[in-house]
Amino acid sequence: MIRPRWRKVFHDLFDNKARTLLVVFSIAVGVFSIGVISGAYKIIQSDMSVSYAANHPGNIELRLADFNADTLASIRNSAGIADAEGRRVVNFRVRTAANDKWVTLDIVALDDFAQNRVNLLAPVEGASIADKNQILLEKDVLENIKAQVGDPLSIELADGTVKTLLIVGIVQDASTGAGDFLAPSTAYIHMSSMPTLRQPQLYNRALVLVSEGQDDLEHIRIVGADLKSKLEKNGFPVFRTRFSETHKHPLADTVNAVLGILMALGILIVFLSSSLIANTLNALLNQHMRHIGVIKLVGGDNRQVLAMYLVLILAFSVLALAVAVPLGGGGAYGLATFLAGKLGFGLLGYRIVPSALLIQFLVGILVPLLAGLIPVIGGSRVTVLTALSGDSAREGDTRSTGDPASMTRWERVQTQAVIFLARRGIHIPRPFVISLRNTFRRRGRLALTLFTLTMGGAIFIGVFNVRVTLDDYIDSIGQYFRADVTLDFDQPYYIDEVKQFALQVPGVSTVEGWQFAGAELLDEQGAVIDNLNILAPPADSELIKPIISAGRFIKLGDERKLAISEAILNYYPNIQPGDLLPMNINGRVEHWEVVGLFKFVGRDGILAYMPLDYSAQISNMINRSFSFRIVTNPHDRATQDLMAEKLDRYFRDAGFKVRSSQSGLASLDSAAESLDTLVTFLLIMAILTAVVGSMGLAGTMGMNVLERTREIGITRAIGADDRAVMRTVIAEGLVIGMISFALAIVISVPITYLLSWIISVAVFESPLATHFTWQGYLIWLALLLVLSTVASILPARNAARLTIREVLAYE
Amino acid sequence: MTLLSTSTTAASAVFFCLTMQPIIELQNIVKTYSTPAGDFAALRGINLRVYKGELLGIIGKSGAGKSTLLNMINGVDRATSGEILVRLNAATEERVGQFEESQLSLWRGRTMGVVYQSFQLLPMLTLVENIVLPMDLCGLYDARTSRERAIELLRLVELEDQAQKLPSQISGGQQQRAAIARALANDPPILVADEPTGSLDSVTADTIFELFEHLVSDQSKTIVMVTHDSSLAPRFSRSLTLADGELVSDSENAHSGGLRRVASAQKKVATKPARPKRGTKRGAK
Ligand SMILES: Nc1ncnc2c1ncn2[C@@H]1O[C@H](COP(=O)(O)OP(=O)(O)OP(=O)(O)O)[C@@H](O)[C@H]1O
Ligand SMILES: [Mg+2]
Repeated sequence: MIRPRWRKVFHDLFDNKARTLLVVFSIAVGVFSIGVISGAYKIIQSDMSVSYAANHPGNIELRLADFNADTLASIRNSAGIADAEGRRVVNFRVRTAANDKWVTLDIVALDDFAQNRVNLLAPVEGASIADKNQILLEKDVLENIKAQVGDPLSIELADGTVKTLLIVGIVQDASTGAGDFLAPSTAYIHMSSMPTLRQPQLYNRALVLVSEGQDDLEHIRIVGADLKSKLEKNGFPVFRTRFSETHKHPLADTVNAVLGILMALGILIVFLSSSLIANTLNALLNQHMRHIGVIKLVGGDNRQVLAMYLVLILAFSVLALAVAVPLGGGGAYGLATFLAGKLGFGLLGYRIVPSALLIQFLVGILVPLLAGLIPVIGGSRVTVLTALSGDSAREGDTRSTGDPASMTRWERVQTQAVIFLARRGIHIPRPFVISLRNTFRRRGRLALTLFTLTMGGAIFIGVFNVRVTLDDYIDSIGQYFRADVTLDFDQPYYIDEVKQFALQVPGVSTVEGWQFAGAELLDEQGAVIDNLNILAPPADSELIKPIISAGRFIKLGDERKLAISEAILNYYPNIQPGDLLPMNINGRVEHWEVVGLFKFVGRDGILAYMPLDYSAQISNMINRSFSFRIVTNPHDRATQDLMAEKLDRYFRDAGFKVRSSQSGLASLDSAAESLDTLVTFLLIMAILTAVVGSMGLAGTMGMNVLERTREIGITRAIGADDRAVMRTVIAEGLVIGMISFALAIVISVPITYLLSWIISVAVFESPLATHFTWQGYLIWLALLLVLSTVASILPARNAARLTIREVLAYE
Repeated sequence: MTLLSTSTTAASAVFFCLTMQPIIELQNIVKTYSTPAGDFAALRGINLRVYKGELLGIIGKSGAGKSTLLNMINGVDRATSGEILVRLNAATEERVGQFEESQLSLWRGRTMGVVYQSFQLLPMLTLVENIVLPMDLCGLYDARTSRERAIELLRLVELEDQAQKLPSQISGGQQQRAAIARALANDPPILVADEPTGSLDSVTADTIFELFEHLVSDQSKTIVMVTHDSSLAPRFSRSLTLADGELVSDSENAHSGGLRRVASAQKKVATKPARPKRGTKRGAK
């Protein structure tokens, strides 16, 4: 026979199933969310760098003028360099028979697939080596075109000829373009296929591994700068450089920041659920007051009673852990897999993360213990006398009505308010008055319930606001890409000539010729820090509406002046309009004046603008341009795609060397998509907090009704019908729901600002202008109405179902 | 009865009592409640000696202070002033007031069985578990012995065939007998009972009394019982009357064989004018 006190604990565990479920679920939700996030964090932290490093990412990527094997050999022999691979990367338009739309790809030619040592390709399907006239697709390509191994791939050359290569396999390249949301997808061919595409068998890109300090960005930069100056001295201008550490995925910081936000929400959920646990245990100990009295009467001391209830809490914890730990572990791997898939790196397989497991156990055991400690210690200290004398309710009481002497101040206020309103002819329905009074009976419980429900709601609303904030931001990013079609040529054309041609295509309303200059940002010592992409639109361009955060945008007559994206603040945190910025442009070090800062998201290099006239002057391309921005009418996506296609055909037919014709926001889609993923996670967390909040409400209503079972029975005995009983209970639930809604409206404001600040700084490295939407408020209101009705109907139904005899026997 | 009794005869009880000091001694016990309407003295200087082997009845009207007095003796409540001494044998003298709250429970569990009008059994435990509970908490017996004792006690109160039932499945009289069995669980020398027959019919009440008499004569327990029912007076070995927080009379019932002359200093007559009653039951304030 087990000892009677443990028998009692065991009985208490299963006696009230709804209560046990509530507590166990509260604990489980917290353990689950913490488990998922900490597990995913750990898995990603290790696997992201390991799997990134496993593909031998190049530490230095150089884009330079065509070079041959001799130059490659001299790169390999340079100081501090372990290995280097040369590749030729050319942008082409491709399609398969299943697609009628052309898609732009970077086709990468390798010398020898078997000797591939940098930016390794992992086989996904079919072959992982392409022979002459065969091609391997990176698996991301499949997101844009329908293609299968064995399909022919049509490739359009600059002069309009179409060549066909056979798709022999799908591979994954986790290194090339990692960290660049806007990078084009890639495909791989053998160098021997280059002649087919009318390209020379020369390299234009070098991937370099440094021999030491592979995880020291500073060192990599120095080696890269030396290499670059050496190459340039030998007559190979370097257009672009990119540096990365071997063991650090370029997006690691972003992913960590996002997981950090999710973690913060997870902790909040634990916090909210702990107040739920505290509430439930408080009620439980109130109900058990007499039991505690009896135990102490027959010889139990404080510590024995305390131990019994601590064991009960522990039992709740164990039940919750049994459910939440496996789910959390699975969820963690699921989340990690999802993120890995999105970011293009592999995981090392399912495993249990010991530290996450530990955190789950700590959360699952300590949080309920802490939350329950105050009620349990209070309960175990109660004297036999108080416990047995019946007036044991430690907070509020169960007096029925009436006696003015025993009314609390709050009740007097209520009564007076009701009388006051009644005198003026406003009669508040009686059940509502009773509900109001019931609601405020247990102040502490009400406060905790309101807290959970309010926080749940405020976060829910906040996430919706953050979503529109991000959407608006993406929209405003669109202001930098207002052109409906971007037309790029392989050689410069006179702007007026292109304009004339383009305007003959029906639907085209405006044409602008833009120029572009690649530059490198230098630090104070003159070392390269990042790439600078300087766009040169006409100074009066209508196709760009920048969000200026300091200074001004470019204007006609600016020389050696630029407007630059806020991303510059990462390198020059104190930069202000008027400051001079050192940069490497056209092979010279120059200092340009910053005229203004604007907001922009971009991962690959820093965006800046200068007026077209100055660009034309320094590049010696007066009135000519490679790149044209075209406005069509209307601006929807379908028209843009159609017009891109049309213009492409039109210019090719007219003999222009078209490189690509892209519809407006195509390149922004992937950025928007990754934000969507983030918002989805936020929403899931928001829903979890809302669930915890509504469980809190349901629990409270359940407890309130349970404690008033006797009273309800007596009300019915004296003639109230079931529906009247139900009405008071439901009204009570609604009153709580609406109070919390009002509070949530207020609290959601700071929460929205906080969330949007954290997320925008994490993802875009600069804060965004926060926007609000009524959506979240409306949805939460609707949810709350439903939730509070349901949360009160269930306990009310139970109360109404009890027979009067049962009720009076109720203890 | 091997486990329960030390088989004392009435004669040895008499000898014991004559030579020994009282097992319970109340010295000038005053209990004052502070209420919104001012301080209220529920007990006004009670002096009382209870000897081993007595079945002492304290009789008083509702509100006289009976429960208050009993809760002083068993340590459930503390006196405002005065001392309560408990001498279980010649060597030990314990002052109830000296214990801390946590020691008090254990002390009570081992020293004094308590029986209330509303049986106070734990509803989720079977009768046998309810009786094992005090032994479990006080740790005087191991698990096996505890269970055997519990069955033994249930046999004593003639409930052994109900052992596995829950309190809600048996009658009020049976519940009270189970409560008495529980009070005896740790074999305490003293039993205090507050209106144990209060919610029972007279026939059932009779069986409880028989049980008490049996416990006093066969097991040399000392029992203090309070009741409002003055018709029960003849059934005690000695009975006292409590009125308005003071002991007013002392009677001895020859038939039960008690020979004790109570050496209490209480006044024989109520000298104070009758005070207005402050309500009947403690719960109904
Ligand atoms: N906690 C308290 N606060 C104030 N007064 C109290 C308290 N407990 C008891 N009293 C008062 O003390 C007096 C004695 O109460 P007590 O419960 O001892 O009476 P009783 O003799 O047991 O009555 P009954 O037969 O009704 O049980 C009563 O007048 C009662 O109102
Ligand atoms: Mg009483």
